[in-house]
Amino acid sequence: MARTAAILRALAQALRRDQKSIVAIVGNNFFIVTVLMLQNAGAFLDLILGLILLFTLSTDPLQKIPASRLALWPLERRERWILRGASPWVNPVTWLIGAGAVWVARGKVTVGLWGLCGGLIAISFILSALPIAPRASVWRRIPRFPGPLNHLIRKNLREMLCTLDFYVALLLSAAVLAYRASGMKLPAEALMPITLLAMVALSSYAQCLFGLDGESGLERYRLLPVSGWQVLLAKDAAFLVLAVLVALPLAPLAGLGAALTALAVGHYATVNHRREQIRWRFSAGAPVVEGLVQCALIAMAGSSVGHSGWMIAPCVAAWAGSVWWYGREWDGADR
Amino acid sequence: MIKCRNLTRRFGEFTAVDGLSFHVAPGAICAFLGPNGAGKSTTVKMLTGLLAPTGGEIEVCGLDPRTNPIELKRRIGVLPEDLGLFDDLTVEEHLELTASVYGVARQDAKGRIAQLLRALSLEHGRRTFASACSHGMRKKTSFAMALLPNPRVLFLDEPFEAIDPVTSKIMRDLLQSASRRGITVFLTSHILPVAEEIATQLIMIRKGKMVWDSPASELPQALEQHYFDLVESPVVEDLEWLGPPRS
Repeated sequence: MARTAAILRALAQALRRDQKSIVAIVGNNFFIVTVLMLQNAGAFLDLILGLILLFTLSTDPLQKIPASRLALWPLERRERWILRGASPWVNPVTWLIGAGAVWVARGKVTVGLWGLCGGLIAISFILSALPIAPRASVWRRIPRFPGPLNHLIRKNLREMLCTLDFYVALLLSAAVLAYRASGMKLPAEALMPITLLAMVALSSYAQCLFGLDGESGLERYRLLPVSGWQVLLAKDAAFLVLAVLVALPLAPLAGLGAALTALAVGHYATVNHRREQIRWRFSAGAPVVEGLVQCALIAMAGSSVGHSGWMIAPCVAAWAGSVWWYGREWDGADR
Repeated sequence: MIKCRNLTRRFGEFTAVDGLSFHVAPGAICAFLGPNGAGKSTTVKMLTGLLAPTGGEIEVCGLDPRTNPIELKRRIGVLPEDLGLFDDLTVEEHLELTASVYGVARQDAKGRIAQLLRALSLEHGRRTFASACSHGMRKKTSFAMALLPNPRVLFLDEPFEAIDPVTSKIMRDLLQSASRRGITVFLTSHILPVAEEIATQLIMIRKGKMVWDSPASELPQALEQHYFDLVESPVVEDLEWLGPPRS
């Protein structure tokens, strides 16, 4: 029993260190903007936002122990069963679900809605416990791009496709597409806010473009005979491909203007304050104030381009200037 | 081909590399030896332009890494300490990336990649993502990336560690062949017999300071003994709690 308790203690400690997932959500532009815009929307929205938070934390704690190490420990069958049964309880999410159950019992939320939320969290937990194939292989087939940066752009696309930010933006875009496909007409004034919201969903990633490269990848960047602006260009090309894809059913030009602005602002944090990211989580961007400034500029740029297509020119200029400037900073950094 | 004078690197109060001066001739295989934490990787990082020195002068291929970083990177191949691989690229994609970034002509690149994959037994895993590769495969990929652009100088940080004996032999042969073609090899290693077998120059450092620099032929005794005498001699403590020795 002492052995099991020691392992559970170590697991709890490891999970406490992993609480940066919460920081990831707090530093995410989409999360901030949604909270600010819809704070009076009531319990349902609180629950949805809470669900986003819980989803990121609902992982099997036993995953923290390398499988080979766990198999090597001299634990008896009974001890392994105890470990399996007790380990979920070192994750605070399990206790939050318990608290939610009490909330349900008090009649604040319908049993059906709570069942849906609990089910999603359970799926997240089970998925994390399953031995799934290598994470990147999901996106093996990425189109090729012309030029010497081809594989860097493809790699960057694969990285971005491993963040939840993209799927939130895609969900917004797909919802509009489905709505239009069903023959219903979307009011013109609704298109711009949805476009901007989709770009805001992507924008936190623009603040941490090197977050999924790891130390090894960063070392390779520094060894390649390419300038800083080329490194940023490869990053931005991948971002813009996905941003335009998301914006296609919405307001494409306004979306492009907003995406260019998100990058122009995000380069500062990307180059100067690298934040390591976790795959299949929301991106942790810069501090809230920086995030809000980026969101405000995205909104201004997107709506300006929406009113006049010519306004795309200053967006392109700002982005190009940012690539050049922060490319120089990347080159000049004392490594 | 590699010159450095009074090379120094400090991290706060700690001096990792302390006034190193040496010269490596074209076509030499220089083994840079020392215990863990002696400053070997820091030196390699400074020579390859990854880390700015606190003091001293460096010249690699006639270039200063601080003033001509891009031009220098075009002329050198590096196998870094942490291998420098991207999790989201396959073995083959890493080689294709190297070829296109270093400007190797497409047809030429195709041939070189096929040959390297074959020589290093990477063919079966060419479509494996780096994140799913074994450590040995990752090291071989990084080694192939260093060699592919036909550099003038090869910097290899612990190339023979965690490599199977056959691949180790192939790598040694490739390095000797490169050296015969005038390519300079600068490598760090803890495997002294391998260093003794292939090196034409030996440099030993301890706590960031040089303790030996000579052609391999001028070594006064076996490398291992010389290393123990100059750098660090092993102190083996008897672990009595393992029980009494059997007769």
